[in-house]
Amino acid sequence: MVFFLAKRLIQSVFVMLAVAFLAFSLFRFVGDPVSQMTGVETSVEDRERLRENLGLNDPFAYQFVRFTSDMLKGDFGFSYRTRQPVAEMIASRMPATLELGVVALLISLVVGIPAGVFTALRPRGYATQAILMITLVGVSIPTFVIGIMLIFFFGVQLGWLPTFGRGGTVNLGGWETSFLTVDGWRALILPALTLGVYQLTLTMRLVRAEMMDVMQSDYIRFATARGVPMGRLYFKHALANTMVPVITIIGLQFGGVIAFSIVTESVFQWPGMGLLFLESIRFVDIPVMGVYLVVIAFFFVLVNLIVDLLYVLIDPRLRISDVS
Amino acid sequence: MPHDIRKSFVLGGALSLAALSVHAESFNWASTTDPQTMDPHAVNSTPVLSFLNNIYEGLVRRAPDMSIEPSLATSWEPLEDENGWRFNLREGVTFQNGAAFTAADVMFSYERASDEAADTRSWFSPVTDVRIVDDYTIEVLTDSPNPLFPSSIANFMILDSDWATDNDAVLPAKDSENFATLNVNGTGPFTVASRDPGVRTVLTPNADWWDTPTHNITEATFTPIGNAATGLAALLSGDIDFIEPIPLQDVEQVERRDGFRVIEGEETRVIMFGFGHEHDTLLYSNDVTDTNPFTDPRVRLAAAHAIDIASIDRVLFRGKIEAASQLVPAGISGYSEAHQDRPAYDPERARELLAEAGYPDGFSFGLKCTNDRYINDEALCRAAASMFAAVGLDAQLSTGPVRDYWEQLRADDFDMFLLGWSPGTFDMEHPVRFLLHTQDDEAKLGSWNFGNYSNARVDELLPLFLQELDPAARQEMIDELVEITQDEVAYIPLYTQPLIWAVKDNIDVTQRADNFFMLRWVTVN
Repeated sequence: MVFFLAKRLIQSVFVMLAVAFLAFSLFRFVGDPVSQMTGVETSVEDRERLRENLGLNDPFAYQFVRFTSDMLKGDFGFSYRTRQPVAEMIASRMPATLELGVVALLISLVVGIPAGVFTALRPRGYATQAILMITLVGVSIPTFVIGIMLIFFFGVQLGWLPTFGRGGTVNLGGWETSFLTVDGWRALILPALTLGVYQLTLTMRLVRAEMMDVMQSDYIRFATARGVPMGRLYFKHALANTMVPVITIIGLQFGGVIAFSIVTESVFQWPGMGLLFLESIRFVDIPVMGVYLVVIAFFFVLVNLIVDLLYVLIDPRLRISDVS
Repeated sequence: MPHDIRKSFVLGGALSLAALSVHAESFNWASTTDPQTMDPHAVNSTPVLSFLNNIYEGLVRRAPDMSIEPSLATSWEPLEDENGWRFNLREGVTFQNGAAFTAADVMFSYERASDEAADTRSWFSPVTDVRIVDDYTIEVLTDSPNPLFPSSIANFMILDSDWATDNDAVLPAKDSENFATLNVNGTGPFTVASRDPGVRTVLTPNADWWDTPTHNITEATFTPIGNAATGLAALLSGDIDFIEPIPLQDVEQVERRDGFRVIEGEETRVIMFGFGHEHDTLLYSNDVTDTNPFTDPRVRLAAAHAIDIASIDRVLFRGKIEAASQLVPAGISGYSEAHQDRPAYDPERARELLAEAGYPDGFSFGLKCTNDRYINDEALCRAAASMFAAVGLDAQLSTGPVRDYWEQLRADDFDMFLLGWSPGTFDMEHPVRFLLHTQDDEAKLGSWNFGNYSNARVDELLPLFLQELDPAARQEMIDELVEITQDEVAYIPLYTQPLIWAVKDNIDVTQRADNFFMLRWVTVN
């Protein structure tokens, strides 16, 4: 087990280095940070000096090595835009993104799994057809359109929920949380729905397909014949056996939820990492973009690792093979 | 339960009504960009300077009509025997931390704002020396007579020298942030109560402000909202009271609703097309590869005659733009009344001119435009390309985001390009200095003259009219200059773009042509 973990961690370093390299080689085509940092009246001479100071005239390889070695030393650099330390900026925006992602994921699980089981048990019912249709619509409409529609309906027309931002947050030892205030929760609902709707559909369809498969298997028929209570049969014996593929997909999707919350965050002016990344692209804020992409790569690696570990917990067969 | 609460409000209403009207309100506003720093000398850009003008003050300030009025200086006059200005400073002014404002602070701020680390140093390029006469008098010496100097430093904001020194912010932040990046201590009407960069900034009135407040704000909260649809929804839902700008296509939606108002004005920004005057060949032509037809003024004039501003106005801008004939709009000092006609829309004449120049069938060339810098910039360029096509000029349009646009223009990667220019000093000298004077890095002239338009007489006239104290003689020189650049079609000025703000009905705001938003002119009714 320890060996397995160590191997994965070493792999993850290479993944992050590769991401940093790809990102860095693309940055040169994003634009000119100096033009963004200076006003129109700044002289050519002053602009050149700034470029030199930022090290933008250095060769690409040199810039990349400097960036990665600084990062390995724990020095994430300073934003071109705000001059703040990048580590601090990303850290201050991370709670917003993680909370949004977790709530979106919970919505997708809490609604998606029961809905999947229900639609599998009654494959031809009207309710099943309706659920399948609605979720198909939800998954076909682009995220930003869903977001805008929710904002205009619940925010503007009905005036029930705020249209942007995080509302009230409470600082818990440096972690700004929305979970402790009513305003915070009110502000979370629409963005989390927007972000979670794709997940929800995916989870539901996956659970449904797996469940229908499992319900055909011999041990379920046998258990039914033995008179195992229905609730116990569906939710313990059948559902447990659908969980391995579901967890794989959900885990991988969670990395995606964090990474692609960019769109949702932009629509709701949700002050998370994704919004920070967008602002940074507009400004050609290379240090922030670089660190953000590496952090996201780290999330993906971490989530994959957790998924691998969960397998072992859920599927006893894997435990046995590990021992042998 | 809610009924009970409402009742108690009604009962208490009579008592609290008087208090409410005096107490005024909190005010929430949004704009697309967060000011990236609270340091008034670090970045010379509209979002930063506009925001900080609520907190810091300069020696002079601009009134709603853009005229210059006393601020931290009560009066100023030219020096008698030397080139320069004497400023008499206001007494009894204190910074928000309680420190007294004196000439030493002006001196310190001058040194700070003109340092290499400051982005504002170009404002002080004519300055040779600054000297303190006494605590409330300061003299600024310039290299030549400089009648425009007082108005050119309207955004030069004064910091408290002790505060900056004590907090290790003697110079604007270069690599890392410093104390002045996040904290403020101005003399102005508002101070920052809390700031979360990119998320929210809360301002409260400065109770000790030297001037009489005309606003009735008790707390103002600024939120940057980058997405236009989100901003509009935030306004319509009542979450914010004021937003600028809103997209042209949303104007109707706001006007249709009760309780909201759209405020429109003309910005001073002139949108124009520029040429590669110095290029030997066209870069993006399919047919003309050995020469650059745009070096012939007849070809440039033909391009000007091909543009139908009235149609562009009607179709793309809902009648909200003002046609432009020169590089500043009417009303800016130095505007040449004598040359207010732009080349008429005349495709016939355009084709004749092209034939005269040796291109009876026209030619193809590259037109470079931004798609996120000016209002409807991409649509404008598409419309212009089809208008050019109608006279035989086949424009190969390429559009892109502004973040790498200037770099391309600086690398001479264009045949014709789109540019918008707002005169920073609100005088004709500004576009002449940056767009018309021959490129000269040493003298810091012509730095945005990407196509390097060059005319010896224009270069000669710039310092002459800059130093001219007699307004009539000055205008005469500018008239001559405008005539030359119109005759030679140095640029094709198109129009000035509109400023569009949206606000709740119960709020009064004042729109200024430089698109600065001053909280001290806000009233919540």
